[in-house]
Amino acid sequence: MKRLRLAMQLAVMVAAAMAGVRFALGRSVTTVETYCPFGGLETAYAFFTRQRFTCAAGETNLALFIALLGLTLVARKAFCGWVCPVGALAEWEGKLARRLFRRPDLTGAWRVPARADRMLRVVLRAAVLALVLGATWTTGELVFRGYDPYYVLFSAHGHDVRAWSYALLGGLMVLGLLLPMAWCRYLCPLGAAIWPLSAGGLLRLARDERTCTACGACDRACPQLIEVSRAGIVRSGECTLCLECTGACPTDSALELRWAGGKP
Amino acid sequence: MRAPAWIVPALVVAAAAAGVGGARLLAAPSVVRDFAAHAPGTATRRAVFVVDGVRCVDTAERAAGQLAGVPGAIRFTAWAARAKVEVTYDPAVTTAEALREAIEGPVHDDSTGEFRFGVFAVREVNGVEVESIRR
Repeated sequence: MKRLRLAMQLAVMVAAAMAGVRFALGRSVTTVETYCPFGGLETAYAFFTRQRFTCAAGETNLALFIALLGLTLVARKAFCGWVCPVGALAEWEGKLARRLFRRPDLTGAWRVPARADRMLRVVLRAAVLALVLGATWTTGELVFRGYDPYYVLFSAHGHDVRAWSYALLGGLMVLGLLLPMAWCRYLCPLGAAIWPLSAGGLLRLARDERTCTACGACDRACPQLIEVSRAGIVRSGECTLCLECTGACPTDSALELRWAGGKP
Repeated sequence: MRAPAWIVPALVVAAAAAGVGGARLLAAPSVVRDFAAHAPGTATRRAVFVVDGVRCVDTAERAAGQLAGVPGAIRFTAWAARAKVEVTYDPAVTTAEALREAIEGPVHDDSTGEFRFGVFAVREVNGVEVESIRR
């Protein structure tokens, strides 16, 4: 499953890079932002109030966003762990940071106290989401482009990408080494938008206390720093169902994927 | 109830397919502009263009501006994300070729007062690549 996830992440990344380069070379009229579900949320207001799309957003963005909502209702933040190329890069950076700073887990050089971490995840991400949507819906422009790591990375110097966009991206990458998954945990507006649905997702990881040896391998493997070994059922809205924890678990059936509400 | 691990990638793939496939159900234009009313009963035609340079609402509005005042142009509709433009026209007055030339013509830049060339390039007309038409 680990290899399949890596293959899917790589495939999406290559497809995004190719879409960006093909557009930049004039071989395609479809930009890389066409496949961003966040563009669907940005244009949703214009679509549902005026039956028009905002700026360069279109029906593919909106349809992908609606599909993402459906996916999240069932499989939580699986999009972040299996598809999002920014999430994949952040995760790989986290693994690099683990080696660089010789950490047993994916915490990197800086540790944020648990309470501050929870606050930042909710407040900061919600603030970024509100700011981006407010500005987009007010101006009718995709104002987030120049700040969006996905667009800056894969648009091959697309429209609205400036020198400061690369500086910001570089800053985020350095931050990602010191504080792995910083973008996903504290800044990603799409993550903030789907978080409430993710928390109620139907698929959940369940730990069997009878067979679990409390070795903590699952905690150390989790890119989202969820304390799996302390939960009976992982209800965190941050869980991406990447299944790194089940892969790291040395005990058969101590950690399983289950449907919510079902009998054990 | 236990769920197999493969259900996660299967759901991801299904959602991606539903998103891309379902886009057709949500088709709505980025820009619609009516130039002139046509007399009821008059035959009209539609020409569909794929235009390099139409990439957002602003650029689509500018492309619409290229057709404002062109005799026979009745309605302009653009889907910016696909660079697609559909023009309804009166075939007794104009042709798809004339409309293409109008779209590709010099664009007046309001900020400098000058004309800019090569802002729009039509890639396809009614599903046929312009390069193959020129050949």
